[in-house]
Amino acid sequence: MNDSDIVILGAGIHPFGRFDASAQDLGAHAARAALADAGLAWSDIEAAYLSRMYLPATSGARILRRLGGTDIPIVDVEAACASGGAALRQAVLAIRSQDVETVLVLGVEKMPRGFMDPSMIYSPWQIRMGMSMNPAYWSMRAMRHMHDYGTTQSQIARVAWKNHRNSVHNPNAMYRKEFSMEEILASPLVCDPIRRLEICAPNDGAAALVVTTGRRARQLGGNPVTIAACIHTIARYSADFRCPADSMSATIENTGPTALTARKAYETAAIGPDDIDCFEVQDTDAFCEIEIYEEIGLCGLGQGGPLVEAGHTDIGGRYPVNMSGGLISKGEPVGASHLGQVVELVGQLRGQAGARQVADARTAMAHVLGAGGNCAVTILRH
Amino acid sequence: MQAESTAASAVAPINDGMVRSLDPAHGQIELLGSRCATCGEVSLGTNAVCLNCGGDNIESIALGSEGTLWTFTVVRHRPPGNYLGPDPFEPFGVGLVELPSGLRVMTPLDGDISTFRIGDKVRLAPWLLREGEDRRWLAFRFTAAGGSAA
Ligand SMILES: [Zn+2]
Repeated sequence: MNDSDIVILGAGIHPFGRFDASAQDLGAHAARAALADAGLAWSDIEAAYLSRMYLPATSGARILRRLGGTDIPIVDVEAACASGGAALRQAVLAIRSQDVETVLVLGVEKMPRGFMDPSMIYSPWQIRMGMSMNPAYWSMRAMRHMHDYGTTQSQIARVAWKNHRNSVHNPNAMYRKEFSMEEILASPLVCDPIRRLEICAPNDGAAALVVTTGRRARQLGGNPVTIAACIHTIARYSADFRCPADSMSATIENTGPTALTARKAYETAAIGPDDIDCFEVQDTDAFCEIEIYEEIGLCGLGQGGPLVEAGHTDIGGRYPVNMSGGLISKGEPVGASHLGQVVELVGQLRGQAGARQVADARTAMAHVLGAGGNCAVTILRH
Repeated sequence: MQAESTAASAVAPINDGMVRSLDPAHGQIELLGSRCATCGEVSLGTNAVCLNCGGDNIESIALGSEGTLWTFTVVRHRPPGNYLGPDPFEPFGVGLVELPSGLRVMTPLDGDISTFRIGDKVRLAPWLLREGEDRRWLAFRFTAAGGSAA
């Protein structure tokens, strides 16, 4: 760690699940945990960003006032499933500008059960015609991949099997139950070929990070983790047909958002996929994780199915992915999702991940991807 | 046309500038698009600006009614929100249909959900939707045309 590095000094989480507690309760819990982990007080924070998608205006200020009166700037940030990456990036930029040195980044969400409210991303005509089913878009990607590369339903189920299995060791996950391949493949189809046990659910949760400079971390002591890259992009024209896309070009195929964002993150961190010891990625559905393996360079195009089938992305494999159990097990409280991944990876890099620990993890990547082609990748180093 | 547009049961396009009847009974329809004179890209609906290059030299075109199924899925649960399809719900196909004009369009698929295959030839069809007592929409979907490009 250099003095000029930007580091995570504290990380805190409220478990993901369904709770009676308010968004304020969840958020304040995570923020206090991150401050305690950093050994800092609320009064040491000079700016704060709230990542959220569903919560109403000024939620950041309303949640953080629970920690005591303040006059610092508190800004709500939204970029769909990548909201946490967008908020963390704002903190990095604010610190790099030397306007502030110590920033709190908080992600909070409290979401209704079932499918997300379609009017948040779809046009009325798409909803009337039945085109407002998010999993339909993910499933169409899976169908095309199966057609082009021979990816199998069993390989897709293997992702869900791995992530459910990892979740058993994660007290912050919503579902902590192992399922057999037979149980996963017998669970009902949501949109062909994606099944109930291969899909993530919206829920409640919060995660928080205290971000500061290497200089300040060295003065304070503690156990800082360096942010080697934090990149946010949106999909280029015709690069992606995720919801709520109504069409795409048949003649132009641009680099997809995950490949684009990962490439920029690798360039910024001056490393490649083989230098990274563990990954947390957007398994909105189990197929999506296979596609991400290929796009972040863990394997070639079409090789994602065989990669998971061979166990290479298990804990103990060459590229451990979603040690936390992934969104499939944790649920996806959208605003808290990416920061929750980062909290998991901070634990991995500090060697505090218990039974789901990746041996000698020194470098880690978190990836999120969602509506509008919003994508964020954060690379951490310890 | 004046009388029809003011009648209680007038049929309105599901989205302005996207779909148009070719006969008074709505038996045949056309899907509308926009072609950019600068970069040549085609987009769905009537757009003032090119979604690729931002150019505003745009020509309205018909996107064509025959296409190929590029990918698809079967929706097995009622979509959330104001879905106007069959009630009680019936599982239905959704596809991305590649049209010769150079665009792939997201669309509901009409027909037996067990029969869809990537590469199938499909044809544009009108889909009349009713909303409440007096709103009627002209929507679109694609249906099997027989044969496969594969
Ligand atoms: Zn253009």
